[in-house]
Amino acid sequence: MAGFEVRGVSKVYGGATPTETLSNIDLTIEDGEFLSILGPSGCGKSTLLEILAGLQLPTSGEVWFGGAKLKGPGIERGVVFQDPSLYPWRSVAKNVQLGLEMRGVAKGERREDAQRYLDLVGLKGFEHKYPHHLSGGMKQRAGLARALANGPEVLLMDEPFGAVDHLTRLQLQDDLLRIWEAEKKTVVFVTHDVSEAVFLGDRVVLLSPRPGRINRIFQVPQARPRRRDDAGLLKIQNDIYAAIHEVKSSESLEFTI
Amino acid sequence: MGYDGKKRYRWRILIGQVALLLACLGMIEYLVRAEIVGSLYLSKPTQVAEEIYKLFADGEIFHDLLVTLKEFAAGYLLSAFAGIATGMFLVLVPHAENFFRPFLSALLAIPKVTIIPLLMLWLGIGLSHKVAIVFLFCFFTIAFNTITGIKQTAEAHLKVARVFEASKLQTIVKVILPSAAPTIFVSLRVSAATGLVGALFGEMVASKDGLGNLLVQATSLYDTAKAFGIITVVTVVSVLIIGVIDLLEKRVVLKWKSS
Repeated sequence: MAGFEVRGVSKVYGGATPTETLSNIDLTIEDGEFLSILGPSGCGKSTLLEILAGLQLPTSGEVWFGGAKLKGPGIERGVVFQDPSLYPWRSVAKNVQLGLEMRGVAKGERREDAQRYLDLVGLKGFEHKYPHHLSGGMKQRAGLARALANGPEVLLMDEPFGAVDHLTRLQLQDDLLRIWEAEKKTVVFVTHDVSEAVFLGDRVVLLSPRPGRINRIFQVPQARPRRRDDAGLLKIQNDIYAAIHEVKSSESLEFTI
Repeated sequence: MGYDGKKRYRWRILIGQVALLLACLGMIEYLVRAEIVGSLYLSKPTQVAEEIYKLFADGEIFHDLLVTLKEFAAGYLLSAFAGIATGMFLVLVPHAENFFRPFLSALLAIPKVTIIPLLMLWLGIGLSHKVAIVFLFCFFTIAFNTITGIKQTAEAHLKVARVFEASKLQTIVKVILPSAAPTIFVSLRVSAATGLVGALFGEMVASKDGLGNLLVQATSLYDTAKAFGIITVVTVVSVLIIGVIDLLEKRVVLKWKSS
Protein backbone atom coordinates (compact mmCIF):
# COMPACT_ATOMS: atom_id res chain seq x y z
CA MET A 1 0.00 0.00 0.00
CA ALA A 2 1.67 3.15 -1.11
CA GLY A 3 -1.19 5.42 -1.98
CA PHE A 4 -2.15 8.79 -0.53
CA GLU A 5 -5.42 9.89 1.02
CA VAL A 6 -5.66 13.66 1.08
CA ARG A 7 -8.61 14.80 3.19
CA GLY A 8 -9.78 18.37 3.33
CA VAL A 9 -6.28 19.84 3.18
CA SER A 10 -5.94 23.60 3.35
CA LYS A 11 -2.81 25.67 3.71
CA VAL A 12 -2.75 29.24 4.93
CA TYR A 13 0.48 31.20 5.14
CA GLY A 14 0.41 33.49 8.12
CA GLY A 15 1.76 36.99 8.50
CA ALA A 16 0.06 40.36 8.49
CA THR A 17 -2.19 39.41 5.59
CA PRO A 18 -2.74 35.63 5.68
CA THR A 19 -3.02 34.10 2.24
CA GLU A 20 -4.81 30.87 1.59
CA THR A 21 -2.67 28.80 -0.79
CA LEU A 22 -4.64 25.58 -0.83
CA SER A 23 -8.31 25.23 -0.09
CA ASN A 24 -10.06 22.03 0.91
CA ILE A 25 -8.21 19.50 -1.25
CA ASP A 26 -9.67 16.00 -1.33
CA LEU A 27 -7.68 13.53 -3.39
CA THR A 28 -6.95 9.83 -3.47
CA ILE A 29 -3.72 8.77 -5.14
CA GLU A 30 -3.68 5.06 -5.98
CA ASP A 31 -0.76 2.74 -5.44
CA GLY A 32 1.36 2.53 -8.61
CA GLU A 33 -0.48 5.39 -10.28
CA PHE A 34 1.17 8.13 -12.32
CA LEU A 35 -0.67 11.27 -11.29
CA SER A 36 -0.05 14.65 -12.90
CA ILE A 37 -0.91 17.79 -10.98
CA LEU A 38 -1.39 20.68 -13.37
CA GLY A 39 -1.89 24.33 -12.66
CA PRO A 40 -0.66 27.84 -13.36
CA SER A 41 2.10 29.29 -11.20
CA GLY A 42 0.85 30.41 -7.82
CA CYS A 43 -1.89 27.78 -7.63
CA GLY A 44 -0.21 26.00 -4.72
CA LYS A 45 0.77 22.86 -6.60
CA SER A 46 4.30 22.90 -5.20
CA THR A 47 2.85 23.44 -1.73
CA LEU A 48 0.62 20.41 -2.20
CA LEU A 49 3.64 18.34 -3.24
CA GLU A 50 5.63 19.50 -0.22
CA ILE A 51 2.73 18.53 2.01
CA LEU A 52 2.76 15.06 0.45
CA ALA A 53 6.53 14.95 1.04
CA GLY A 54 6.01 15.95 4.67
CA LEU A 55 8.18 19.05 4.27
CA GLN A 56 5.20 21.21 5.20
CA LEU A 57 2.20 20.51 7.37
CA PRO A 58 -1.30 21.44 6.24
CA THR A 59 -3.04 24.17 8.21
CA SER A 60 -6.13 21.99 8.37
CA GLY A 61 -7.07 18.56 7.05
CA GLU A 62 -4.86 15.51 6.98
CA VAL A 63 -2.84 13.32 4.67
CA TRP A 64 -2.70 9.55 5.06
CA PHE A 65 -0.02 7.51 3.42
CA GLY A 66 -0.11 3.70 3.33
CA GLY A 67 -2.51 3.53 6.26
CA ALA A 68 -0.74 6.00 8.54
CA LYS A 69 -1.16 9.70 9.05
CA LEU A 70 1.74 11.76 7.68
CA LYS A 71 3.84 13.55 10.26
CA GLY A 72 6.99 14.49 8.36
CA PRO A 73 9.39 13.54 5.59
CA GLY A 74 10.18 9.87 5.09
CA ILE A 75 12.63 7.87 3.07
CA GLU A 76 9.79 5.92 1.44
CA ARG A 77 8.78 9.10 -0.35
CA GLY A 78 11.51 10.28 -2.73
CA VAL A 79 11.44 13.89 -3.89
CA VAL A 80 12.81 15.30 -7.14
CA PHE A 81 13.06 19.05 -6.85
CA GLN A 82 12.47 21.72 -9.44
CA ASP A 83 16.01 22.95 -8.99
CA PRO A 84 17.80 19.61 -8.67
CA SER A 85 19.63 20.94 -5.60
CA LEU A 86 22.63 18.68 -5.99
CA TYR A 87 25.37 19.39 -3.47
CA PRO A 88 28.07 21.18 -5.48
CA TRP A 89 30.82 19.88 -3.17
CA ARG A 90 30.00 16.25 -3.93
CA SER A 91 30.68 14.29 -7.10
CA VAL A 92 27.64 12.97 -8.97
CA ALA A 93 28.09 9.49 -7.49
CA LYS A 94 28.43 10.91 -3.97
CA ASN A 95 25.28 12.98 -4.49
CA VAL A 96 23.33 9.90 -5.49
CA GLN A 97 24.64 8.07 -2.41
CA LEU A 98 23.50 10.84 -0.07
CA GLY A 99 20.33 9.21 1.24
CA LEU A 100 22.05 5.85 1.68
CA GLU A 101 24.85 7.58 3.57
CA MET A 102 22.37 9.22 5.93
CA ARG A 103 20.94 5.80 6.72
CA GLY A 104 24.36 4.31 7.37
CA VAL A 105 24.43 1.86 4.45
CA ALA A 106 27.90 0.32 4.08
CA LYS A 107 30.24 1.94 1.59
CA GLY A 108 30.48 -0.90 -0.92
CA GLU A 109 26.74 -1.45 -1.01
CA ARG A 110 26.19 2.28 -1.32
CA ARG A 111 28.43 2.48 -4.33
CA GLU A 112 26.72 -0.45 -6.05
CA ASP A 113 23.21 0.87 -5.45
CA ALA A 114 24.14 4.33 -6.64
CA GLN A 115 25.83 2.91 -9.73
CA ARG A 116 22.76 0.91 -10.67
CA TYR A 117 20.58 4.02 -10.66
CA LEU A 118 23.19 6.15 -12.37
CA ASP A 119 23.18 3.60 -15.18
CA LEU A 120 19.38 3.54 -15.18
CA VAL A 121 19.06 7.30 -15.65
CA GLY A 122 21.80 7.32 -18.28
CA LEU A 123 24.63 8.94 -16.32
CA LYS A 124 27.16 6.14 -16.76
CA GLY A 125 30.61 7.67 -17.10
CA PHE A 126 29.70 10.85 -15.19
CA GLU A 127 30.07 9.39 -11.70
CA HIS A 128 33.15 11.39 -10.80
CA LYS A 129 32.10 14.67 -12.36
CA TYR A 130 30.93 17.52 -10.15
CA PRO A 131 27.46 19.04 -10.66
CA HIS A 132 28.81 22.19 -12.33
CA HIS A 133 30.12 19.98 -15.14
CA LEU A 134 26.61 18.71 -15.94
CA SER A 135 23.97 20.21 -18.22
CA GLY A 136 20.54 21.05 -16.79
CA GLY A 137 19.02 17.82 -18.08
CA MET A 138 21.85 15.73 -16.65
CA LYS A 139 21.48 17.43 -13.28
CA GLN A 140 17.82 16.43 -13.24
CA ARG A 141 18.81 12.87 -14.11
CA ALA A 142 21.19 12.88 -11.17
CA GLY A 143 18.42 14.28 -8.94
CA LEU A 144 16.15 11.45 -10.08
CA ALA A 145 18.85 8.84 -9.41
CA ARG A 146 19.40 10.35 -5.94
CA ALA A 147 15.71 9.88 -5.13
CA LEU A 148 15.53 6.38 -6.64
CA ALA A 149 18.68 5.10 -4.89
CA ASN A 150 16.80 4.88 -1.59
CA GLY A 151 14.20 2.55 -3.04
CA PRO A 152 11.20 4.81 -2.30
CA GLU A 153 7.66 3.62 -2.86
CA VAL A 154 6.64 7.00 -4.20
CA LEU A 155 8.34 9.61 -6.35
CA LEU A 156 7.20 13.19 -5.76
CA MET A 157 8.37 15.36 -8.64
CA ASP A 158 8.08 19.16 -8.53
CA GLU A 159 8.26 20.55 -12.07
CA PRO A 160 11.45 18.57 -12.56
CA PHE A 161 11.82 19.34 -16.26
CA GLY A 162 10.78 22.99 -16.07
CA ALA A 163 14.23 24.42 -16.63
CA VAL A 164 15.51 22.29 -19.51
CA ASP A 165 15.14 22.90 -23.24
CA HIS A 166 12.18 21.40 -25.08
CA LEU A 167 13.90 18.51 -26.86
CA THR A 168 15.77 17.43 -23.72
CA ARG A 169 12.49 17.62 -21.91
CA LEU A 170 10.79 15.19 -24.30
CA GLN A 171 13.71 12.79 -23.89
CA LEU A 172 13.50 13.07 -20.08
CA GLN A 173 9.76 12.34 -20.22
CA ASP A 174 10.36 9.18 -22.26
CA ASP A 175 13.10 8.09 -19.87
CA LEU A 176 10.95 8.77 -16.84
CA LEU A 177 8.16 6.57 -18.22
CA ARG A 178 10.66 3.81 -18.97
CA ILE A 179 11.97 4.00 -15.39
CA TRP A 180 8.46 4.18 -13.95
CA GLU A 181 7.51 1.02 -15.82
CA ALA A 182 10.67 -0.75 -14.70
CA GLU A 183 10.46 0.33 -11.04
CA LYS A 184 6.69 0.28 -10.48
CA LYS A 185 6.50 3.30 -8.23
CA THR A 186 3.68 5.67 -7.49
CA VAL A 187 4.55 9.00 -9.14
CA VAL A 188 3.08 12.40 -8.36
CA PHE A 189 4.26 14.80 -11.03
CA VAL A 190 3.69 18.54 -10.71
CA THR A 191 3.88 20.59 -13.90
CA HIS A 192 2.47 23.67 -15.60
CA ASP A 193 2.79 22.10 -19.05
CA VAL A 194 -0.53 20.67 -20.31
CA SER A 195 0.96 18.31 -22.90
CA GLU A 196 3.49 17.01 -20.40
CA ALA A 197 0.78 16.34 -17.81
CA VAL A 198 -1.36 14.45 -20.33
CA PHE A 199 1.47 12.53 -21.99
CA LEU A 200 2.78 11.23 -18.65
CA GLY A 201 -0.19 10.78 -16.37
CA ASP A 202 -2.89 8.19 -15.75
CA ARG A 203 -4.89 11.08 -14.39
CA VAL A 204 -4.44 14.82 -14.55
CA VAL A 205 -5.56 16.92 -11.60
CA LEU A 206 -6.23 20.48 -12.72
CA LEU A 207 -5.87 23.07 -9.96
CA SER A 208 -7.32 26.54 -10.16
CA PRO A 209 -5.45 29.39 -8.53
CA ARG A 210 -5.81 31.64 -5.50
CA PRO A 211 -6.58 29.66 -3.46
CA GLY A 212 -5.58 26.35 -5.03
CA ARG A 213 -8.60 24.13 -5.43
CA ILE A 214 -9.22 21.01 -7.49
CA ASN A 215 -10.93 22.24 -10.61
CA ARG A 216 -11.35 18.93 -12.41
CA ILE A 217 -9.71 15.55 -12.68
CA PHE A 218 -9.13 14.21 -16.20
CA GLN A 219 -8.71 10.50 -16.86
CA VAL A 220 -6.09 9.59 -19.46
CA PRO A 221 -6.98 5.99 -20.35
CA GLN A 222 -4.60 5.69 -23.34
CA ALA A 223 -2.29 2.68 -23.17
CA ARG A 224 1.47 3.12 -23.07
CA PRO A 225 3.69 3.52 -24.96
CA ARG A 226 1.83 6.61 -26.05
CA ARG A 227 2.42 8.73 -29.12
CA ARG A 228 2.57 12.44 -28.60
CA ASP A 229 0.34 13.02 -31.65
CA ASP A 230 -2.29 10.49 -30.50
CA ALA A 231 -5.71 11.97 -31.29
CA GLY A 232 -7.11 10.87 -27.92
CA LEU A 233 -4.32 12.63 -26.00
CA LEU A 234 -4.76 15.78 -28.05
CA LYS A 235 -8.50 15.72 -27.35
CA ILE A 236 -7.82 15.58 -23.60
CA GLN A 237 -5.34 18.43 -23.94
CA ASN A 238 -7.99 20.51 -25.67
CA ASP A 239 -10.49 19.75 -22.94
CA ILE A 240 -7.96 20.89 -20.35
CA TYR A 241 -7.22 24.11 -22.26
CA ALA A 242 -10.96 24.76 -22.40
CA ALA A 243 -11.27 24.19 -18.65
CA ILE A 244 -8.37 26.59 -18.00
CA HIS A 245 -10.00 29.18 -20.24
CA GLU A 246 -13.27 28.84 -18.35
CA VAL A 247 -11.51 29.51 -15.06
CA LYS A 248 -9.82 32.57 -16.50
CA SER A 249 -12.99 34.07 -17.99
CA SER A 250 -14.99 33.53 -14.83
CA GLU A 251 -12.20 35.21 -12.86
CA SER A 252 -12.05 38.23 -15.14
CA LEU A 253 -15.83 38.41 -14.96
CA GLU A 254 -15.55 38.76 -11.20
CA PHE A 255 -13.15 41.63 -11.73
CA THR A 256 -15.39 43.52 -14.14
CA ILE A 257 -18.44 43.26 -11.89
CA MET B 1 44.59 33.89 -29.29
CA GLY B 2 45.75 30.28 -29.60
CA TYR B 3 47.54 28.27 -26.95
CA ASP B 4 50.96 29.31 -28.28
CA GLY B 5 49.86 32.91 -28.44
CA LYS B 6 48.75 32.83 -24.80
CA LYS B 7 52.00 31.23 -23.73
CA ARG B 8 54.05 33.85 -25.54
CA TYR B 9 51.91 36.58 -23.99
CA ARG B 10 52.54 35.21 -20.52
CA TRP B 11 56.28 35.06 -21.11
CA ARG B 12 56.35 38.65 -22.31
CA ILE B 13 54.51 39.79 -19.18
CA LEU B 14 56.90 37.82 -16.96
CA ILE B 15 59.99 39.24 -18.66
CA GLY B 16 58.59 42.74 -18.27
CA GLN B 17 57.89 42.17 -14.56
CA VAL B 18 61.40 40.84 -13.88
CA ALA B 19 62.87 43.76 -15.78
CA LEU B 20 60.91 46.27 -13.68
CA LEU B 21 61.99 44.57 -10.45
CA LEU B 22 65.65 44.58 -11.47
CA ALA B 23 65.38 48.21 -12.54
CA CYS B 24 64.00 49.21 -9.12
CA LEU B 25 66.67 47.26 -7.24
CA GLY B 26 69.36 48.66 -9.54
CA MET B 27 68.09 52.19 -8.95
CA ILE B 28 68.28 51.76 -5.17
CA GLU B 29 71.74 50.22 -5.48
CA TYR B 30 72.86 53.25 -7.47
CA LEU B 31 71.23 55.81 -5.15
CA VAL B 32 72.94 54.35 -2.08
CA ARG B 33 76.33 53.73 -3.78
CA ALA B 34 76.43 57.27 -5.15
CA GLU B 35 75.47 58.47 -1.66
CA ILE B 36 72.48 60.39 -2.99
CA VAL B 37 70.53 58.58 -0.20
CA GLY B 38 72.37 57.84 3.04
CA SER B 39 72.97 54.19 3.92
CA LEU B 40 71.17 54.84 7.21
CA TYR B 41 67.89 55.29 5.35
CA LEU B 42 68.19 52.71 2.57
CA SER B 43 70.44 49.74 1.97
CA LYS B 44 72.05 48.43 -1.16
CA PRO B 45 70.13 45.33 -2.28
CA THR B 46 73.47 43.51 -2.58
CA GLN B 47 74.22 44.28 1.04
CA VAL B 48 70.73 43.16 2.13
CA ALA B 49 71.28 39.88 0.30
CA GLU B 50 74.59 39.52 2.11
CA GLU B 51 72.90 40.17 5.46
CA ILE B 52 70.23 37.55 4.75
CA TYR B 53 72.97 35.09 3.86
CA LYS B 54 74.75 35.91 7.12
CA LEU B 55 71.57 35.50 9.19
CA PHE B 56 71.16 31.98 7.90
CA ALA B 57 74.86 31.09 7.68
CA ASP B 58 75.62 31.70 11.36
CA GLY B 59 72.23 30.21 12.31
CA GLU B 60 71.31 33.30 14.34
CA ILE B 61 67.89 33.60 12.76
CA PHE B 62 66.70 30.01 13.18
CA HIS B 63 65.95 30.36 16.87
CA ASP B 64 63.92 33.55 16.36
CA LEU B 65 62.17 32.19 13.28
CA LEU B 66 61.10 29.14 15.23
CA VAL B 67 59.85 31.26 18.15
CA THR B 68 57.73 33.42 15.85
CA LEU B 69 56.36 30.46 13.95
CA LYS B 70 55.46 28.69 17.18
CA GLU B 71 53.61 31.73 18.53
CA PHE B 72 51.80 32.15 15.24
CA ALA B 73 50.88 28.50 14.80
CA ALA B 74 49.55 28.10 18.36
CA GLY B 75 47.50 31.32 18.28
CA TYR B 76 46.26 30.74 14.76
CA LEU B 77 45.14 27.14 15.24
CA LEU B 78 43.51 28.02 18.53
CA SER B 79 41.60 30.91 16.96
CA ALA B 80 40.60 28.79 13.94
CA PHE B 81 39.08 26.07 16.13
CA ALA B 82 37.54 28.47 18.62
CA GLY B 83 36.31 30.81 15.88
CA ILE B 84 34.61 28.09 13.86
CA ALA B 85 33.16 26.51 17.02
CA THR B 86 31.86 29.86 18.29
CA GLY B 87 30.33 30.68 14.91
CA MET B 88 28.61 27.31 14.78
CA PHE B 89 27.38 27.63 18.34
CA LEU B 90 25.89 31.05 17.71
CA VAL B 91 23.96 30.06 14.59
CA LEU B 92 22.97 26.53 15.43
CA VAL B 93 21.83 27.03 19.01
CA PRO B 94 18.50 28.87 18.94
CA HIS B 95 18.57 32.41 20.36
CA ALA B 96 22.34 32.25 20.97
CA GLU B 97 23.18 34.74 18.25
CA ASN B 98 20.50 37.22 19.28
CA PHE B 99 21.74 37.05 22.84
CA PHE B 100 25.50 37.13 22.34
CA ARG B 101 25.81 39.27 19.22
CA PRO B 102 26.10 42.66 20.99
CA PHE B 103 28.80 41.30 23.30
CA LEU B 104 30.74 39.85 20.40
CA SER B 105 30.39 43.03 18.37
CA ALA B 106 31.62 45.11 21.30
CA LEU B 107 34.66 42.86 21.74
CA LEU B 108 35.31 43.03 18.01
CA ALA B 109 35.25 46.83 18.12
CA ILE B 110 38.06 47.08 20.66
CA PRO B 111 41.28 47.94 18.80
CA LYS B 112 43.27 44.86 19.74
CA VAL B 113 46.66 46.63 19.96
CA THR B 114 45.44 48.62 22.94
CA ILE B 115 45.18 45.47 25.06
CA ILE B 116 48.73 44.35 24.37
CA PRO B 117 50.21 46.15 27.43
CA LEU B 118 47.50 44.66 29.65
CA LEU B 119 48.12 41.22 28.22
CA MET B 120 51.76 41.74 29.14
CA LEU B 121 50.70 42.43 32.70
CA TRP B 122 48.58 39.29 32.81
CA LEU B 123 50.69 36.87 30.82
CA GLY B 124 54.27 38.18 30.94
CA ILE B 125 56.30 38.65 27.78
CA GLY B 126 56.73 35.03 26.76
CA LEU B 127 54.96 32.60 24.45
CA SER B 128 51.49 32.84 25.98
CA HIS B 129 51.51 36.65 25.57
CA LYS B 130 52.10 36.35 21.80
CA VAL B 131 49.68 33.44 21.42
CA ALA B 132 46.98 35.56 23.03
CA ILE B 133 47.72 38.46 20.69
CA VAL B 134 47.61 36.26 17.58
CA PHE B 135 44.37 34.75 18.88
CA LEU B 136 42.75 38.16 19.34
CA PHE B 137 43.90 39.26 15.89
CA CYS B 138 42.31 36.20 14.20
CA PHE B 139 39.40 34.97 16.29
CA PHE B 140 36.68 37.49 15.48
CA THR B 141 37.16 37.44 11.72
CA ILE B 142 36.95 33.65 11.69
CA ALA B 143 33.92 33.56 14.00
CA PHE B 144 31.96 36.16 12.01
CA ASN B 145 32.81 34.56 8.67
CA THR B 146 31.68 31.20 10.00
CA ILE B 147 28.34 32.78 10.94
CA THR B 148 27.99 34.33 7.48
CA GLY B 149 29.00 31.08 5.79
CA ILE B 150 26.53 28.96 7.71
CA LYS B 151 23.74 31.38 6.91
CA GLN B 152 24.53 30.98 3.22
CA THR B 153 23.48 27.34 3.32
CA ALA B 154 20.88 27.00 0.58
CA GLU B 155 17.34 26.34 1.79
CA ALA B 156 16.95 23.79 -1.00
CA HIS B 157 20.01 21.85 0.21
CA LEU B 158 18.54 21.66 3.70
CA LYS B 159 15.27 20.44 2.24
CA VAL B 160 17.10 17.58 0.54
CA ALA B 161 18.61 16.60 3.89
CA ARG B 162 15.18 16.68 5.51
CA VAL B 163 13.71 14.43 2.83
CA PHE B 164 16.47 11.93 3.60
CA GLU B 165 15.67 12.17 7.32
CA ALA B 166 19.15 13.44 8.17
CA SER B 167 19.92 13.81 11.87
CA LYS B 168 20.96 17.19 13.25
CA LEU B 169 24.61 16.10 13.32
CA GLN B 170 24.46 14.74 9.76
CA THR B 171 22.92 17.99 8.58
CA ILE B 172 25.74 19.97 10.17
CA VAL B 173 28.57 17.77 8.90
CA LYS B 174 27.23 16.93 5.45
CA VAL B 175 25.36 20.10 4.49
CA ILE B 176 26.05 23.13 6.67
CA LEU B 177 29.82 22.92 7.07
CA PRO B 178 30.52 22.20 3.38
CA SER B 179 28.25 25.15 2.49
CA ALA B 180 30.14 27.42 4.87
CA ALA B 181 33.62 26.17 3.91
CA PRO B 182 34.39 28.70 1.15
CA THR B 183 33.50 31.65 3.39
CA ILE B 184 35.42 30.20 6.32
CA PHE B 185 38.50 29.77 4.13
CA VAL B 186 38.38 33.41 3.11
CA SER B 187 38.68 34.35 6.79
CA LEU B 188 41.41 31.76 7.37
CA ARG B 189 43.50 33.33 4.62
CA VAL B 190 42.95 36.89 5.81
CA SER B 191 43.69 36.02 9.44
CA ALA B 192 46.85 34.14 8.54
CA ALA B 193 48.34 37.45 7.43
CA THR B 194 46.97 39.49 10.34
CA GLY B 195 47.93 36.76 12.80
CA LEU B 196 51.55 36.92 11.74
CA VAL B 197 51.40 40.70 12.10
CA GLY B 198 50.10 40.15 15.64
CA ALA B 199 52.96 37.86 16.56
CA LEU B 200 55.58 40.25 15.13
CA PHE B 201 54.03 43.31 16.70
CA GLY B 202 53.86 41.62 20.08
CA GLU B 203 57.54 40.76 19.79
CA MET B 204 58.42 44.30 18.82
CA VAL B 205 56.62 45.71 21.85
CA ALA B 206 57.85 43.27 24.48
CA SER B 207 59.84 40.10 24.13
CA LYS B 208 63.23 38.48 24.48
CA ASP B 209 63.31 36.78 21.12
CA GLY B 210 61.45 36.23 17.84
CA LEU B 211 61.79 37.92 14.46
CA GLY B 212 60.04 41.07 15.68
CA ASN B 213 62.53 41.35 18.50
CA LEU B 214 65.43 40.78 16.11
CA LEU B 215 64.10 43.56 13.91
CA VAL B 216 63.87 46.02 16.80
CA GLN B 217 67.42 45.17 17.81
CA ALA B 218 68.68 45.78 14.28
CA THR B 219 66.95 49.14 13.93
CA SER B 220 68.01 50.33 17.37
CA LEU B 221 71.60 49.67 16.32
CA TYR B 222 70.96 51.54 13.05
CA ASP B 223 71.76 48.32 11.17
CA THR B 224 69.47 49.19 8.26
CA ALA B 225 70.71 46.43 5.97
CA LYS B 226 69.98 43.77 8.57
CA ALA B 227 66.53 45.27 9.19
CA PHE B 228 65.74 45.03 5.48
CA GLY B 229 67.05 41.48 5.52
CA ILE B 230 64.69 40.53 8.35
CA ILE B 231 61.78 42.26 6.64
CA THR B 232 62.50 40.20 3.52
CA VAL B 233 62.56 36.97 5.53
CA VAL B 234 59.28 37.85 7.28
CA THR B 235 57.63 38.61 3.95
CA VAL B 236 58.70 35.24 2.56
CA VAL B 237 57.34 33.51 5.69
CA SER B 238 54.01 35.30 5.26
CA VAL B 239 53.77 34.30 1.60
CA LEU B 240 54.59 30.69 2.48
CA ILE B 241 51.92 30.52 5.19
CA ILE B 242 49.26 31.85 2.84
CA GLY B 243 50.51 29.40 0.22
CA VAL B 244 49.92 26.51 2.61
CA ILE B 245 46.37 27.71 3.30
CA ASP B 246 45.67 28.13 -0.42
CA LEU B 247 46.85 24.57 -0.95
CA LEU B 248 44.54 23.35 1.81
CA GLU B 249 41.65 25.30 0.32
CA LYS B 250 42.31 23.80 -3.10
CA ARG B 251 42.12 20.32 -1.62
CA VAL B 252 38.97 20.96 0.39
CA VAL B 253 36.91 23.40 -1.60
CA LEU B 254 38.07 24.40 -5.02
CA LYS B 255 37.72 21.11 -6.82
CA TRP B 256 33.97 21.50 -6.89
CA LYS B 257 33.80 25.22 -7.53
CA SER B 258 33.17 26.33 -11.06
CA SER B 259 36.05 28.55 -11.99
